[in-house]
Amino acid sequence: MDILLLLESSLNGALVGLMYSLVAMGIVLIYKSSSVPNLAQGAMVMLAGYVILAFSNQLGLPLWVAIPLGIVTMFIIGVGIERVALRRLAGRPIIMILMMTLGIEIFLRAGSMTIWGGTSRPLPLGISDAPLFLGPLLINRAYAVGAGVAVAMFVLLVLFFRTRIGVVLRAISDDYTAAWSVGISVERGVALSWAISAVVATIAAVLWGSVQGVDQSLALLLLKGVTVAVLGGLDSIGGALLAGILLGIVEGLASIVLDPLLGGASRELVDAAMLILTIMLRPHGLFGRHDIERV
Amino acid sequence: MTENPIEEVLTLNNVEVVYDYVSLAIKGVSLTVPKGGMVALLGANGAGKSTTLKSISGLLAAERGEVRRGEVKFQNENISGLMPQDRVKLGIAHVLEGRRVFEHLTPDENLIAASAVRSRHDAARNKDRVYSYFPRLFERRSSAAGYLSGGEQQMLAIGRALMTQPKLLMLDEPSLGLAPFLVAEIFQILSRINREEGLSVLLVEQNAIAALEIVSHGYLIESGRIVMHDTAEALKRNPDIQEFYLGGAENKNFRDIKHYRRRKRWLT
Ligand SMILES: Nc1ncnc2c1ncn2[C@@H]1O[C@H](COP(=O)(O)OP(=O)(O)OP(=O)(O)O)[C@@H](O)[C@H]1O
Ligand SMILES: [Mg+2]
Repeated sequence: MDILLLLESSLNGALVGLMYSLVAMGIVLIYKSSSVPNLAQGAMVMLAGYVILAFSNQLGLPLWVAIPLGIVTMFIIGVGIERVALRRLAGRPIIMILMMTLGIEIFLRAGSMTIWGGTSRPLPLGISDAPLFLGPLLINRAYAVGAGVAVAMFVLLVLFFRTRIGVVLRAISDDYTAAWSVGISVERGVALSWAISAVVATIAAVLWGSVQGVDQSLALLLLKGVTVAVLGGLDSIGGALLAGILLGIVEGLASIVLDPLLGGASRELVDAAMLILTIMLRPHGLFGRHDIERV
Repeated sequence: MTENPIEEVLTLNNVEVVYDYVSLAIKGVSLTVPKGGMVALLGANGAGKSTTLKSISGLLAAERGEVRRGEVKFQNENISGLMPQDRVKLGIAHVLEGRRVFEHLTPDENLIAASAVRSRHDAARNKDRVYSYFPRLFERRSSAAGYLSGGEQQMLAIGRALMTQPKLLMLDEPSLGLAPFLVAEIFQILSRINREEGLSVLLVEQNAIAALEIVSHGYLIESGRIVMHDTAEALKRNPDIQEFYLGGAENKNFRDIKHYRRRKRWLT
């Protein structure tokens, strides 16, 4: 087997994986602050794509205006979802909360289908199709840009969590009763984490929309996001980043090694295997934290 | 109405708390904390001490608990309808049972997180103040709080509460699981803060020996009811109370005594 082909495929896989991380980071943000596994994260990416297109196509604004407007809109939608749908469920059984996020996911998909229809629309960022060479390896420019943005987003989030507000959010995720006891408004903190997560979803929407167009299938990114988030440990942003790279590489290799044997579906099989094996063998994921135990 | 000093910082009148709409946890608790005073609330496991504190700090809601009857007054104002963060803003701080520091945050970040209701400027000043009371925290300010010793975590929990600039500091069994010398050290610091800043303190303890050394008054709670209220001196002399810390082992406290024996004595 051609070693260069394998290298090239894993390198591009790693870049795509970083773009999965972006979806996973959104899931992690919400999970960390409120232990809610948000099954609507993929649908939020899809919605963000439509929102940006609404600003750019329907209102005729240039993308550099439409994207920031999309970010602001999604920020508000994130707050709104928490306020309207999730807050009232605080303290209820986790299965109810999970079903609620599933309900939101279905609602967002059905709603966008009703409003915007099912045809795929392009979201052109103007990234050239011309291949990028790293030595002998051929790299997809769009993936390279996406990976770069994902890493930048990660750095921004890390910096954010060092600010005063970020520290408060981390405190909530550590112990929300204790957070209440020192006057932290836990509800507002959780709403903020939904908002930030919706903003991250918007960034993901721009990147993925530019790669595969905007349609309902963007919501399927949930599966990648969940796999990466679980593999990374669900409550670790850095874990999501590294797990994304890992999943991307494994997918890339699988597509070379397994596709000829199995036909085209080997990526999905590999995703499923990673998710199931992680849950069976290492439920804390690769980087999930355990409660600190003193010796 | 001028020059009408508020004598009591905290007053509970016949407070009744239910959990899950049915289970009655405290049954008409009344107590007062004088302004600038130090008061202990003593009692055995399950007596209702923590529930009483939660009814004051508003943390009951998080556990599906509710004040069903009676009133909680802070500085003569009925606070029953307020959210926990609004009570913190008014000056009520609750140091939770079991320390509950933010384990993955450093002590420094723990203190910053606890200043959400105060300005940035106040936060910096309060942090200096906390570190001056607890120099040991300053030494360990940048390692994860989960790795601090039990005593250091208790200091951090208290320091965190001080960051909110309380007028009333409520502590839920701060001596739990700590060596006697550490308990003494922490209680000394509490007395000092009380003296120097006029901070009112409501101290929940099972460790009556240590608590009665620093408070002026004490209440005894039993099965959700206050069964005794007196000065610390009188309580120390009380034969029932004495039994708990003179009866054999030196560190004996309420926890070790068979519940029914006391119950019989106080209810008959
Ligand atoms: N969240 C809750 N839900 C239902 N019942 C509760 C809850 N918390 C406490 N109780 C009940 O209320 C009563 C008083 O409990 P509380 O925790 O106030 O006692 P305590 O005096 O603090 O005891 P300890 O010394 O063990 O901390 C107990 O019977 C307890 O079982
Ligand atoms: Mg208790």
